[in-house]
Amino acid sequence: MAGDTAPHAPTRTLEPAPLAGAPAPGAGGGNGDAPAATSGRARATRSADVVQTRASLIALAVLVVVFAAISPQFRTAGNLQQIIDAAAVLAVLATGITFVLMLGAIDLSLPGVIGACAMTVSLLVANSRNTQDLGLLGIALTILLGAAFGLLSGVLSTRLRIPTFMTTLGMSAIGLGIATILFAGVRPVVLDESLGAWASHRIAGFTVMSLIAVAAVALGWAIQRWTRIGRYAAAIGGAEDIVLLSGVPVARYKTLAFGVAGAFYGLGAVMLTARLGSGVVEAGAGTDFAAITAAVIGGTLLSGGRGGVLQSMIGVLALTVLANGLILTGVSPYVQQAVQGVIVVLAVAVATWPVRRRLGVVK
Amino acid sequence: MSNHVRPAAATSPVLAVRGLTKRYPGVLALDGMDLEVRPREVVGLIGENGAGKSTLLKSLVGLAQPDSGSIVVRGEEVRLRGVAHAASVGIGMVFQEQSLVPNITVAENILLGAEGSGVRGGLFRWRRMAELAQVQLDKIGSTVSARARTDSLTFAQRQMVEVAKVLALEERTAHEPVVLLDEPTSVLEREEVETLFAQVRRLRERASVVFVSHRLDEVLEISDRVYVLRNGRVVAEVDPAEVDATDLHHLLIGRESTGSHYHDDAQQQPAADVRLSVRDLQTAGCTQASFEIRAGEVLGVAGVQGSGREELCRALFGAVPGARGEVLLDGKPLRLDSPRAAVLAGVGYVPSERRTEGVVSSMSVTENMSMAHVGTVCRGPVIDGRRERALVDTWVRRLGIRTPSGDTAIGTLSGGNQQKVVLARWMVSEQLRLLILDHPTRGLDVGAKSEVYELIRELAGSGCAVLLLSDTLEEALAMSHRVLVMKDGRITACLDAPRGGKPDPVAIMEAMV
Amino acid sequence: MAARMNRSRGTALIGSVVVALALSACGESSAEAEGEGSGSTGACAPEDVTLVGQVRNQTNPYEAAWLEGGDAFAESVGLEQQKLTYDGDSQQQQEQIRQVLASGDASCTVINALPNGDSDTTPIVNAADGADAWLVTQWNKPADLDPTAYDRWVAHLTYDGVESGYQIAKALFEEMGGSGGVIALQGILDTAAAQDRFLGLQKALEEYPDITLLDDQTADFDRATALEVTRTLLTQHGEEVGGIWAANDDMALGAVQALEAAGVDGVAVAGIDAVPEALEAIADGSMTATVSSDGPWQGAVGLAMGYCAATGELDVASIDAEDRAFFAEQFLITEDNVGEFSDPQLDMSEFDCDSLFSRATGPIAAS
Repeated sequence: MAGDTAPHAPTRTLEPAPLAGAPAPGAGGGNGDAPAATSGRARATRSADVVQTRASLIALAVLVVVFAAISPQFRTAGNLQQIIDAAAVLAVLATGITFVLMLGAIDLSLPGVIGACAMTVSLLVANSRNTQDLGLLGIALTILLGAAFGLLSGVLSTRLRIPTFMTTLGMSAIGLGIATILFAGVRPVVLDESLGAWASHRIAGFTVMSLIAVAAVALGWAIQRWTRIGRYAAAIGGAEDIVLLSGVPVARYKTLAFGVAGAFYGLGAVMLTARLGSGVVEAGAGTDFAAITAAVIGGTLLSGGRGGVLQSMIGVLALTVLANGLILTGVSPYVQQAVQGVIVVLAVAVATWPVRRRLGVVK
Repeated sequence: MSNHVRPAAATSPVLAVRGLTKRYPGVLALDGMDLEVRPREVVGLIGENGAGKSTLLKSLVGLAQPDSGSIVVRGEEVRLRGVAHAASVGIGMVFQEQSLVPNITVAENILLGAEGSGVRGGLFRWRRMAELAQVQLDKIGSTVSARARTDSLTFAQRQMVEVAKVLALEERTAHEPVVLLDEPTSVLEREEVETLFAQVRRLRERASVVFVSHRLDEVLEISDRVYVLRNGRVVAEVDPAEVDATDLHHLLIGRESTGSHYHDDAQQQPAADVRLSVRDLQTAGCTQASFEIRAGEVLGVAGVQGSGREELCRALFGAVPGARGEVLLDGKPLRLDSPRAAVLAGVGYVPSERRTEGVVSSMSVTENMSMAHVGTVCRGPVIDGRRERALVDTWVRRLGIRTPSGDTAIGTLSGGNQQKVVLARWMVSEQLRLLILDHPTRGLDVGAKSEVYELIRELAGSGCAVLLLSDTLEEALAMSHRVLVMKDGRITACLDAPRGGKPDPVAIMEAMV
Repeated sequence: MAARMNRSRGTALIGSVVVALALSACGESSAEAEGEGSGSTGACAPEDVTLVGQVRNQTNPYEAAWLEGGDAFAESVGLEQQKLTYDGDSQQQQEQIRQVLASGDASCTVINALPNGDSDTTPIVNAADGADAWLVTQWNKPADLDPTAYDRWVAHLTYDGVESGYQIAKALFEEMGGSGGVIALQGILDTAAAQDRFLGLQKALEEYPDITLLDDQTADFDRATALEVTRTLLTQHGEEVGGIWAANDDMALGAVQALEAAGVDGVAVAGIDAVPEALEAIADGSMTATVSSDGPWQGAVGLAMGYCAATGELDVASIDAEDRAFFAEQFLITEDNVGEFSDPQLDMSEFDCDSLFSRATGPIAAS
């Protein structure tokens, strides 16, 4: 969210009343900060980053150790495979949303984008509703559709200067609308065997889908590490006004980051469809919050500039282990949801503990 | 003291400012400023707050658009549209509050937006990036690793990275750049300052430098020429070899006392009883501060930016986490852990950043005024609108706040009237015992300033203790009964300033810098 | 624009007043005729009737089929059904009802609604009653709200969840040969449907002592959740699992996918709702049983009841009190009879005004 107001920030912070101290295109701080405080804050920032990643890893480790101690089934190799398989879709979605969160923006478009992409892919590969049989091409087109949704969110946010909260929420509604039209009352059952094999065929004990997810996460990490989109996304999240002052076309790179995110949502939708065996409009329900929660637990903060794809993966594993472990340890279904909520809040609290503002104001 | 080889005076200037004028509402920030920077020289700029230094620098990097006058770069007049544009003609600035992105590497910051061969086919080539950045770091002999994350560096190291970033203009523009250094030494340790100076001297081998500092001795030490600014114009151009700090002090202050402006005759003797007693106050940027304020006394705190006086004030108001020390208000311990505790104890605070911390622009005058003391206009949990309005009307009249009505959004009022609302917020409280004023006249025009001074006199006259941080030394001296001087986080002097016996500003200046 | 609308609305009003006057003049002997707009029989010309079908959304096969059934009925009487979906949002549902009723004279409007939850039914009933519209509600209703207290709330129908849960449990246990372990996938725990269906399972368990309930977990009526939960439960209970009881077909289908992905054969799965995919699964043997409430029939019969009442062919006051709030018949679908349900055809004779209540199996109050 902070990323949306930031384009205006230079005018605000750089033209204070003429007598008001020094110009301050500083790292997001109020210009009332004394310089000494600035350097103190930078030190806190550094340790915060390390502490956050470490805290997230510790939270994950604690969950694993506790569940392993209580439940013998949790300790089995089969359950490890199950956890990896179960985490696959969320991992891909969280990879995508990480690019948006790095900007300091937010993305609530997942339910709609995934719904539209799930219907699209199930109607483009061999299915029970029509005679299409595009196979891999259909999957590729679906990923492109996801990217198009992302680019549209980005364009609306940057060009029309609408907060991403609103544009992506609207995009979700548009996606669901398209999905409902495509659904037309009859669920298309996926008959394409290679897509079906994503969920059922195993290589070295892991489903094809898990391996695709690992590859996708690796690709996401590479994009973040080696491309302008990834690097500028981090820089924009760190200090958008400074990046703007350096002459970087910020709006373009923000839009592209949304596009990358959308492509990952498209892939996630394909994976969900393979798993469910048919095109389901509501396939993406709740994924936006799951992906955001995973990212935040991992240390990719909503304020932008922090964390990254690999950090988000810690959160994905933590959430998946939690859901899996609560069942295996026999926690009553009637209290699971509450327990899950408490643990998630605790994890986020631990992960964000070091981040303090001057007066501790949190919005 | 100067062992520099003086550049030939005949050399044509690389940068010239001619008759630059910039007016902000109520203030003439630049008033026909003229100066020039020649190739490979270090030009010092000194002036009090409000002399026009910041506005000049902002104009030179395109962040402020002058109303008239011209900026001439290498013989060509330019209208600078922004930092990127200024960079393209070879002018770069090292900002006081630093303009590096914290969460990326040093190399990325140095090359941000102009990676050149560091990015090939859309992919970052980290080794090449590091090499390119290293070229710039080598120019100033910095040992910082180009691959380090920027926020892992010390402030001084980051400053060097900024200098390196500005030097990258050399390759991009094929000219020797002009490097503007805005208060580069204000938060540096003495050794770091030495390092910086060594680098500025290296810099002079390949660039022109404009050096802005509060510390006169430093300016004299490093500069080839020094411009003294006052009231938006150059009042003197001096050769550092021929003047000393005391000469500069006189040039800096150089204005007659305007007694009536400060309502001098309204200054009354404070009571004998101690209102606030501070022992060994310890907080980030301010160490072991001990002092007392009596009831009805105005205590000025003088010091340059970074002297720790802002931190001191914020700490007393409970707005700095982790402040420690023995603080007694009327003999009772004052908690320093939250602004609320301070307010309940009878401490008020008028922040310097009126727009971001002083008022809520979108709320009405009434709401802004009764904010801190909603309790006094409440009936149970509900705000009594009638009582609130009556109270506000009284104060609007008493302070002569020019507002169409109490329901007007405060953001639409002039700065002076906004500030009066903020002052009224605290004066409303009958139990106000100490008011901390952090640059209360910042950004106000002369008339509004005078009105604020009158209010401060009135407050002190009614027995309230006032801690005053002033924009200018003159203001601090005129308004205060005593003046504390701070430097580098410590109190270095405390001078009496009774009516008719104000101390010499030069003495204070010497304790400040 | 506004003026023109007022005028046309006015014309319609005058028209119906004239009709009503004429009617009351003719029907002087009928003491119950209280004039235009109220009373338990309507006097609308068939072509003046507005048919409204309202469900949560069209994104699942069941509710889509419901609306299709409504379309089929509307077509059979030469009308069109106005289809409304409110996305599971109670506020939006109420707003839609208000809009439908606000558009002029509502005394010939028929609403067949699926209230979002029990508590949403009361305001819908009150709004419809206040506007003299004909209303049929399905599935959700507070226990103490009784259609017999209203003239134009024709009926409320629902299905006995205990019975559904019981029927599929029995079919499942028979398939397992009467012994073994089952796991149960519950719906959203605080809904009556989930609770009743689970009660039905427990009732069946009492009759089959050799069947043990290994575990019960909620999967929120959701397919993806059911898939994950099932996979985890398979890890936990392994070979012991002989059957999976799911509180709806979506979860059952998720379980089938989980079994497939885990490469487990020979586990029987049963669900509720008879969505098309479940019928296919039953046909190919990957599912054992489901229960059909017959969505198309629900979509049609609600409109039919209102239509018959609005046109005067059905006197609401004369309907048997037991039929004003009733459980409708549901059908257990197994391998044996799945063919009959695969391509459901509405039997239009069921919507004749005198056979509307043929599927009633008993009053709701009885359970």
